[in-house]
Amino acid sequence: MNRPALLTSVLLAAMLAAGCGSAAGQATAPPRPATPPSLATSLATATGTWAVAVMGGSAASHNNFWQLFARPAGTSTWRLATPPGVASNGGLVLTGLRGGSVLAGFRPSQDLAYSPLAITKNNGRTWSPALLDAGLADVPGALAADPASGRLLALLTDGTAEMSGPGGTAWTRLTTRHALATSRAGTRCEPGSLNAAAFSPSGQPMLAAGCGRPGTAGIFSRTGRAWQFTGPALPAAYAHQAITVLRLATTGGTTTALLAAGTGSAAHLLAGWSSDSGAHWKLSPPLPLNGATLTSASSGPGSSLAIILSHRQAAAIISAAGSWRQLPVLPPGTATLAPRPSGGWNALAVHGTQLTIWQAAPGAQSWTREQVIKVPVQFGSSS
Amino acid sequence: MPGMNSGINVNDPTVVAAFKTALVHQGIIALLIFALLGFAWITVRAWLPAARAAEGAKGSTSAAAAAEPAWRRLLRIGFGLIWILDGILQAQPKMAIGLPSQVIQPTAASSPHWVQQVVNWAGTTWSYHPMQAGASAVWIQVGIGIWLLAASRGPLSRLAGLVSVGWGFVVWAFGESFGGIFAPGLTWLFGAPGAVLIYMVAGGLIALPERAWRSPRLGRAVLAGLGLFLVGMAVLQAWPGRGFWQGTSHGQPGTLAGMTSAMAQTPQPGFLAGWVNAFTVFDEAHGFGINLFVVVALGLIGAAFLTGRRQVVRPAVIVFAVLCLADWVLIEDFGFLGGLGTDPNSMLPFALLAVGGYLALTPEPAAATEPATTEPATTVAAAAGWRERVRPAALRQSVGTASIQTVAAVGALGLIILGAAPMAAAQASPNADPILAEAIAGSTAPLNFAAKPFQLTDQHGRTVSLASLHGKVVLLTFLDPVCTSDCPLIAQEFRAAGQLLGASDRRVELVAVVANPVYHQVAYTQAFDRQERLTQTPNWLYLTGSVPQLQQVWKDYGIAAQILPAGSMIGHPDIAYVIDQAGKVRTELNTDPGPGTTATKSSFAVLLAGAALNALRSS
Repeated sequence: MNRPALLTSVLLAAMLAAGCGSAAGQATAPPRPATPPSLATSLATATGTWAVAVMGGSAASHNNFWQLFARPAGTSTWRLATPPGVASNGGLVLTGLRGGSVLAGFRPSQDLAYSPLAITKNNGRTWSPALLDAGLADVPGALAADPASGRLLALLTDGTAEMSGPGGTAWTRLTTRHALATSRAGTRCEPGSLNAAAFSPSGQPMLAAGCGRPGTAGIFSRTGRAWQFTGPALPAAYAHQAITVLRLATTGGTTTALLAAGTGSAAHLLAGWSSDSGAHWKLSPPLPLNGATLTSASSGPGSSLAIILSHRQAAAIISAAGSWRQLPVLPPGTATLAPRPSGGWNALAVHGTQLTIWQAAPGAQSWTREQVIKVPVQFGSSS
Repeated sequence: MPGMNSGINVNDPTVVAAFKTALVHQGIIALLIFALLGFAWITVRAWLPAARAAEGAKGSTSAAAAAEPAWRRLLRIGFGLIWILDGILQAQPKMAIGLPSQVIQPTAASSPHWVQQVVNWAGTTWSYHPMQAGASAVWIQVGIGIWLLAASRGPLSRLAGLVSVGWGFVVWAFGESFGGIFAPGLTWLFGAPGAVLIYMVAGGLIALPERAWRSPRLGRAVLAGLGLFLVGMAVLQAWPGRGFWQGTSHGQPGTLAGMTSAMAQTPQPGFLAGWVNAFTVFDEAHGFGINLFVVVALGLIGAAFLTGRRQVVRPAVIVFAVLCLADWVLIEDFGFLGGLGTDPNSMLPFALLAVGGYLALTPEPAAATEPATTEPATTVAAAAGWRERVRPAALRQSVGTASIQTVAAVGALGLIILGAAPMAAAQASPNADPILAEAIAGSTAPLNFAAKPFQLTDQHGRTVSLASLHGKVVLLTFLDPVCTSDCPLIAQEFRAAGQLLGASDRRVELVAVVANPVYHQVAYTQAFDRQERLTQTPNWLYLTGSVPQLQQVWKDYGIAAQILPAGSMIGHPDIAYVIDQAGKVRTELNTDPGPGTTATKSSFAVLLAGAALNALRSS
């Protein structure tokens, strides 16, 4: 073959390879570990119930705004209570403070890299600013408060955990995912990302993670300057399963954890309760996911938990003594569940800029519409 | 793709006017170049009658001695005209702003990441200096075209071929994303492997020594290469799963019909759109048949070209030319209509190359193929050593005997330099053209009134008043410390403006006042400064105060900081004031940064720095 023909052959082969390469199939991805649910969640405090949901319905993230809704104790009406002054496109994270106050943290978005905080003492009627000079992690359990001391705990986007002094001032680094992984406690778990932060009933900082070591539930408590592994001991049946702690919260003297075990179609959820900073745990029966994915998890009174799965499925568990109960098929667009004062649950469903609140009493077979809130979303205000 | 979309309307009157002005200015210079060269040529010929006589003698011996081979002439003139057409297309008013976002970016969108990175770099570079880049492309391409047309033989002609290859590679790689050869969906029907790659092939051929053209081997090699390419394209066209065999699929147009359907939507005369639409309908109904025809036709034509036999090649070239014409009209839709077409696409170049290859197989008249007995002066000069060529006598003879074509070729070289030089100078500057900021923000308003006094607290807790800044130029703006979009960009523009001021920076204060009635505490100004890396900017002041204090300043400077509901950030205008050393407001600038690309940020910084320097000069 002469030189021009050789050159053209090489060019041709390259072109054919480029053109035909596009038809090649994609390799099968390995099963992914469980990930924490979205920021859509609810929180019950002494002074009311709070719920977070994203609204706008836009494909562009800067036109979706996270909203905070509040239902003051003693009332049955929800209202918009989003703290003013900051764009909420990145998400909102909630935690309860002492005396029924609530702290909301804005996640970073666009060019804002740190997290403004807002505190309300009057059920969201007015807010006062506070500051976390770092970005909150994209998990609903990224903020926690110790009601007794007033200290705050925050998980950050870079895998760091920071703790403040009383009143949310003087933030200092508590640990990092890497430091935790290399600690004596961490070697038992080989933690991946940090998924939730909480204070134990006695005021010890606690962190939750997914473990690289099978059969281990990654919950850690800080005693003095050292971390202790305080995850529940799981039955032998879980010895070879990937375990991820998805939520961790303390209410009324009890720490509640939500765990995912296994992957793919064999995955299921477990709830765990501890009243002694993780020394002892009670575990719920498993809830098989049957291929569904967890989209939202909310805590209710008495350490109850309600979860939303894909395909409009939902379940709730009241306490360690009970078992998971399926809730009626959710209304379309349900973002999160919130406990009702008289028992049962509210389903908060989002359609663009409209929030519809549905209610189901304990044992109900269906949801009934309770309230509609139209939210004045300011499209384009973040662009 | 970051950096490419400036966010400015491609029809923005400020930019269009600036682009037209740049073209007109350079056009006048281009005319002057040709006029001066023509005048010099006529003058030299008048002063050097001996040289003219020598040229006459040379002409009589060389004209019949070494005529340019017909297929070289075809390629040279054909591609020269196409380069000129491309240059004219580059002069479209929308091109300066639109090329990166509406031509380069969509072309690269389906290419691999590394191609996108390379192309993005080029697009961003263009975006920094769109006027210079746009005008540069016009003059370089027109220059190459004129050069190819004017220089018919000799080193000057070969050099034109080389320049065509060089600039062609720039256009093919950065403008056409390597002709899309690394993207899925590659097909000859849509223009693969990129029109400009064929320009480069033609340029490479023109750059070959004259002796290469005297043998039919070169023509056979060209046809063999083209034939092999067409056979490969036939295989690719026949490859299953690429959507060419189906006229429609799941109720949607197939790959070819989808493409032609989209092409028909571009603005163009109705009858042309009608042709393309009719073909689309036909392809939707007979997709399999059309693809079969294309596969067979490409395969057979390619095989015929590979034979290198004139009798076989001739009908194949005719069929190929017809096929190219049909594709150009019905599928490529002429390539440059509507939108922002930069060239007539690949079919004309393909046809030219094939016809040229065929002509190469055709024997030239005997007189033209005989070696010249007397070399033309230029060839003699080329053969001589450079010392001989630069002797005054030799130079005089060269200049005196230069033909009008040579003068035109030198003029074309001048055009290319005219285009390339300002672009090169612009590229040496890391700062974007302020025209971008002016286009986004509108024109600046010159003012002259006393700035309202204020007394606030800076990010270090110190009290700062406007009076305490007396003697310095103050660039004053209003920023929300928890803003997610515009304010961080404006802060960066201020920081960059400070750097641009150089030594004058000491006489300028970059001042922002908090524009948020909720998050206005000093802790927030400090957090903002850390976020925007402003803590090391010595003349940066971020001022705040109590809400009543801030409201008074906002009122004095026409700022409405509105609390918006439902998770929105504070609404406030993006304005900057330039306050001179005497405390007078001299300029009001709209600092809305638009999409905030690196180019627009740099452009606003240049605008701000310029306004500060003007205030310094006028104080």
